[in-house]
Amino acid sequence: METLVEPERVKALRGSLEYIQYQHSLEAKYLPAIRALISKDLSEPYSIYVYRYFLCQWAHLCFLVCAQLTSVSHHSTDTTFQALDPVDHSLIGVIICKLEIHAVHSTPTRRGYIAMLAVASPYRGHGVATALVKRAIQAMADRKADEIVLETEETNTPAMRLYERLGFLRSKKLHRYYLNGNSAYRLVLLLRSVDPDNCPDPNDGEIL
Amino acid sequence: MTFNPGIDVPDELSRLSLGQDTPPRIRDAPELNSTGTIPVDITEKFKKASSALQPGEIVKDEFFTLFESVGALEIMDPKMDSGCVKAGDEFEELYDVSKPLLPEEVLGIIDQLLCHEMSWHLGYPLSQTVFTSVYVEALMMPNPTHIDEAMFVRRGNTQANAEPMLQVLRAYCLGMLKACAYVNERVKSEHYYEEEDFVTNTYNRTLLGSLSTADIRAELNSALNLVQKQQEHMGGDMVEALSSRLKLRDIFLSAAECPQFVAQPDLARQPWEAALMLLPTIKATHNLSKAVDESFSVKLQRKLASTVPPRPIVKLSFENAFGHLDRLFKDGCELINVLSYTNSQCLQTFLRHFQAKKPQPLVYVRTLLQTFLFDAMEMLGGMSIRMIMDDDLAIISLPASPYLDRANDDIEVLHDPRFIIAQQMEAFRKRAAEPFLDIFRTFCQNRCRVRRTLCHNIERWDQLQADAEQLDLELQVRAQEVKLAGQKFSPNTIPVEGDAWSLSMWTYLYKLRQMEWIVQLGFELEVYQPDELAGMYWYLSYLSKTRIEYVPRLRKTLTERVKELRESPAQNRRDPAMERQMLRTLEWIRLSLLDAVITWGLSEALAGLYTACSRLDLLTPPPRPYSNDELRYELRMKPFAKIETPGLPTFEQFAAHASQQDVSTEELLVEASKAMTDAKRACESMSKMTPEESFSVGSHDRWLVSIKNTLKSCIATGLAIATVQKAMREDTTGGQLKLTVEVPTPDKTYHECWIVPRIASKST
Repeated sequence: METLVEPERVKALRGSLEYIQYQHSLEAKYLPAIRALISKDLSEPYSIYVYRYFLCQWAHLCFLVCAQLTSVSHHSTDTTFQALDPVDHSLIGVIICKLEIHAVHSTPTRRGYIAMLAVASPYRGHGVATALVKRAIQAMADRKADEIVLETEETNTPAMRLYERLGFLRSKKLHRYYLNGNSAYRLVLLLRSVDPDNCPDPNDGEIL
Repeated sequence: MTFNPGIDVPDELSRLSLGQDTPPRIRDAPELNSTGTIPVDITEKFKKASSALQPGEIVKDEFFTLFESVGALEIMDPKMDSGCVKAGDEFEELYDVSKPLLPEEVLGIIDQLLCHEMSWHLGYPLSQTVFTSVYVEALMMPNPTHIDEAMFVRRGNTQANAEPMLQVLRAYCLGMLKACAYVNERVKSEHYYEEEDFVTNTYNRTLLGSLSTADIRAELNSALNLVQKQQEHMGGDMVEALSSRLKLRDIFLSAAECPQFVAQPDLARQPWEAALMLLPTIKATHNLSKAVDESFSVKLQRKLASTVPPRPIVKLSFENAFGHLDRLFKDGCELINVLSYTNSQCLQTFLRHFQAKKPQPLVYVRTLLQTFLFDAMEMLGGMSIRMIMDDDLAIISLPASPYLDRANDDIEVLHDPRFIIAQQMEAFRKRAAEPFLDIFRTFCQNRCRVRRTLCHNIERWDQLQADAEQLDLELQVRAQEVKLAGQKFSPNTIPVEGDAWSLSMWTYLYKLRQMEWIVQLGFELEVYQPDELAGMYWYLSYLSKTRIEYVPRLRKTLTERVKELRESPAQNRRDPAMERQMLRTLEWIRLSLLDAVITWGLSEALAGLYTACSRLDLLTPPPRPYSNDELRYELRMKPFAKIETPGLPTFEQFAAHASQQDVSTEELLVEASKAMTDAKRACESMSKMTPEESFSVGSHDRWLVSIKNTLKSCIATGLAIATVQKAMREDTTGGQLKLTVEVPTPDKTYHECWIVPRIASKST
């Protein structure tokens, strides 16, 4: 069941939203909440290694957004329950990315990838996801990414609208890409012109 | 919002799951007492080393990739660990397969199995569909080596097997599993994408690999007899319901074996037609059935050789499943038409239109089509690839040509120019065969893959064109030598004179068509955003215009040769085969020109209309703070960037053409309207063509529907243009026009390649 937050409350919240750059020391506090938030809409959960794969190597490309607990009415006020519950309820959104040299079938590029993006349902529709994506794009652009890519379900119109408003294009459609049988679009944002004569070394395995 | 991430693992890998047909490898623990191996207890060292790490820190080598991390499972998490048993639950499924069943229950299970079988055809794995049936598991495990071993009960209460209703269910299951085996083998033997189109994984089950089809047919037959004897006991409707399903199983096996009749289309078609006769009875009797949900269990996944987490049973309604089954047999029936070969162009027309059907034929039908096309290096059961290629070359650029004359093959003198010509033509065929056949194979793939594969194919055609130009030059020299030496080609050919670029023209036309298809599939697959449409339709018009300008060169060469034919000795002129070939090429050129005119005219019109809409602020592009027009052009045109001819326009040229700054909006719309009229006229001419003239023998109906839908798109474009023109004329304020523009999705248009905007006056 979704708990709805009235617009005034969200408006009031906006000022108190806190964007946090992820770092490993935050794992104990936030990872259970991150997993809970992302698994909610997945038919099959990712193992903890998938999260750590990204978060440990590209913490600098991952961002959290938290709200002050006091202004949210729907969370349990039972302190005993909260002490036992490992999930931090202040987390309302997260973006997880990576940046590597990509050299399959084409000119090598520094390719950023948005792996996961989630915003808790009561807070959707207020630009929180866009703000997270913008932070991630900026962080990847600062690290000289040539392009940023991601996949999104063909039926996920809000996601496509969000990315397309920022400048992403659909480059191809991927037939039955998801386990549920839905197809996907690959979305690409080209940040810099790709020069085949001046591209990164594909064998350079460094974390960017 | 939570986006379901697919995670960027290379396609091949992300679609991999373990447990293909090879039995799982069991690796023994190393022999501890072997010489040279001294076991050392490292527990303490390991503990000490790991205490230096923070919890959650990752220690990995460079070979631990995202793929490995996605494949990792957390043991004891019920969502990931299929062996995890909830408190109070049993590990094994305890359903009793020996218990007696009512006829309506058997019917219910059969129809549930049918839903699962169709889900599998749609692309879901056996583990979530057919293999969730307790009865199927009982028949398959352990793998029966003889038909008498394939029983629900193999030990203990074996007399339960004699229960008539269980015999009926068993026969149905045997027939179904054998059909699944045929389907699986068919798909695996052709080009398809694992886990994208279809999952062939059988998790170490053989799908009754050791049992013969004849034995299974005999079981189906005796079950059918058994059912008919129960007339009084269960009533006529139930007898009909069960009989029709058992018959369907038998027919399905015949349909799966139809490639043996590849040279006798009428025999190959029989089972498909027979199934279509039966299907209405199956549909009508479904309401007699009673589902037995407890005979399907997700727990059976635990017994399968697989490392994937437990996944839910796929639910497909009977109505839905029946629709797919019906479509499977209708498409199969239509598919048989491909076996009646007329010429290579008709074959391609068939292929393009058959595969453009919505929904696209199921992967089984698509792979069956590939078998018909390419089985055993023979096309359509008896034609060599050379026959098809030469036929195609003869239609497009080499009618009655000495280059294709098989008599050249018989010349054995090494320096005879005719011998050299035969060799050069063979060299061309060798180079062109793969790209040429890839066109056929590509169209057998799913629509997304068709577009992606064409993007790769055009680069090979671009290279082929360079080779073809070289060979054309050499052929010209040799043809001249033949003439100078006073030698003769066969009398039923007409020599090609002068600078005939026959091979390179053929190659170029194919390359252009494929480039156009890439753009058109972009519209069909909704790859372009509304504000990209003006530019993409402009680029399509640019490509088709190149084709329009090129085709007359073919005609010129041909006209010269026709002239020669008329001037040649009278006995030659009367050769009807030669005349026919010339005539056929003229027809093809006419068709190709009209087709190019339609594509050019309608894309030009839509480009103009969309440009006008954007100028009038009826379509506003998204803000795109992180992008600019030039970078997006680079990204969008990436598939065409490496193509030498026609070269990709620079961004400046593209921007100038697509925006047409120097043309007023009024003029732009007038021009768009003219282009639309040209396209419309071409459609009207084409729709009057016979199957032969339009190279659509075997698929004329489908071809004609496509032309008529294009004609409707022309008319709708004309109306949209007129609506904008009227609003502009009537506007006195000079402000925003009172119009609404809706860009429909392709399924809401007359033709998926033509995204005609819906423009209407704003109701006040």
